[in-house]
Amino acid sequence: MITNLTGILFDGVAYGSLLFLIGVGLSITMGLMNFINLAHGAFAMAGGYIAVLALSRAGLPFAATLALAFFGTALLGGVAERLLFRRLYRAPHLDQMLFTVGFIFSSMAAATYFFGAGQQLVTMPEALQGQVRVFGVDLGIYRLFLILIVAIITILLHLMITKTRFGAQIRAAVDNQDASAGLGINVGLVFSLCFALGSGLAGLGGALGVEVLGLDPTFPMKYMVYFLLVVVVGGSGTIKGPLYASIILGICDVAGKYYVPEAGSFIIYVLMIVLLLAFPAGLGGRRA
Amino acid sequence: MADLLKVDALTAGYGPSRVLDGISLAMGEGDSLALLGRNGVGKSTLLMTLMGLTHRHGGAIRFQGRDISGWPAHRRARTGLGWVPQERLMFPSLTVEEHLTAVSRPGEWDLATVYRFFPRLKERRNNMGNQLSGGEQQMLAIGRALMVNPRLLLLDEPMEGLAPIIVQELKSIVGELIRSAGLAVIVVEQHARLALQLTQQAIVLDRGRIVHASTSAALLDDPDKLHRLVAVS
Repeated sequence: MITNLTGILFDGVAYGSLLFLIGVGLSITMGLMNFINLAHGAFAMAGGYIAVLALSRAGLPFAATLALAFFGTALLGGVAERLLFRRLYRAPHLDQMLFTVGFIFSSMAAATYFFGAGQQLVTMPEALQGQVRVFGVDLGIYRLFLILIVAIITILLHLMITKTRFGAQIRAAVDNQDASAGLGINVGLVFSLCFALGSGLAGLGGALGVEVLGLDPTFPMKYMVYFLLVVVVGGSGTIKGPLYASIILGICDVAGKYYVPEAGSFIIYVLMIVLLLAFPAGLGGRRA
Repeated sequence: MADLLKVDALTAGYGPSRVLDGISLAMGEGDSLALLGRNGVGKSTLLMTLMGLTHRHGGAIRFQGRDISGWPAHRRARTGLGWVPQERLMFPSLTVEEHLTAVSRPGEWDLATVYRFFPRLKERRNNMGNQLSGGEQQMLAIGRALMVNPRLLLLDEPMEGLAPIIVQELKSIVGELIRSAGLAVIVVEQHARLALQLTQQAIVLDRGRIVHASTSAALLDDPDKLHRLVAVS
């Protein structure tokens, strides 16, 4: 029982780390432009397919694959933002939802056309396979690696936002766009860069997550609710809130499916209701 | 004169509405202008239109000889317009020092000169933007605009809602900025006499039009006219 519990906590944290990596960009862009983007998962899926191509078909090393997934998806996100998404920033929320749902369907169709409808498999490098025994509990090396990588990225992201001039400009733009623009900050460019960075992180998460989350063309739809929950429960415009939300969500989802499988994914919705009642402004607590 | 800012038949507002109706004015390097009028006649709208934050229906704005009418706000700020907005618009998630460094551009004003000018901001440099008193917020709003190293400073009701003793302190600060070489200033103020004492030129707006333009001294010497133009009836 105790062993199970430790294992579930560990798996939940690893799962939550992935959700955070994919969802954090969405939190920043939604906080910045108040833009309802349901299509964020499409960029995570793109990262997954880039990883499949690079690792399984081109035979690139794992590190190069991850770099390619990040930069490739960041580029895709940046281009999509400049060409499509920015046209809807001032549109009503319903238009934004309709557009981004349409974007999901297009991305699903494109993925099916190029890669087929089936599940994609990738073979992880040997060094990351297998288990390691820590205090009598068997832990998956790959999940340990996931947690470590997300921890490093979280620290870098935190430093960028709190310590750099660019980070201060992001916060200023989130606080007040007119005042920022009137003081020389190019809010549109700040937003494009955030969108690209957020997409890149989602792509990296998608690439890292092929083994944990699976990868097929329904990916953006299947996980949409999870990414939105991360933002809604965490609070938009922060990284602390989504981090807590992802970890809680990850643990509860894994634990729920293990202990009460008949309740299925229902556990996380109950959790969302409870957390939103307790923290209406999100766990980040900055804005409603 | 008239080589720094030239506004020609400017008509603007928010969305389809027209708040400003055919405004023309000109300013030279280092000039100072009091922008007066009752509440809601378009004074703040004029400053925001200069910054590109409203909807322009017609007319042109030339700054340092260039037509900036279609430019986005951030480009206008970078070309030399320093905006000190009404109600100050602090950034709650930035420290005092970050307010200054996030927007700084190279020039005479940097962190050291702004702190020398506002020693209080240096004491409060690790406080957040929303943890300041009204007077400190106003100083930060001015210091923040100076960090962009503007040629023209737009002060929107800098004394609004402040205690009399702070108003006196800010008056001497604004006076010093106006006298400093190379910085032109437009002051929007409800306290008409205070603004007139600080500036060389004055214009009065009513319902989006200029209804009076003269030297500040001339308007100050004619209390009846001043009362007629700006007093709440």
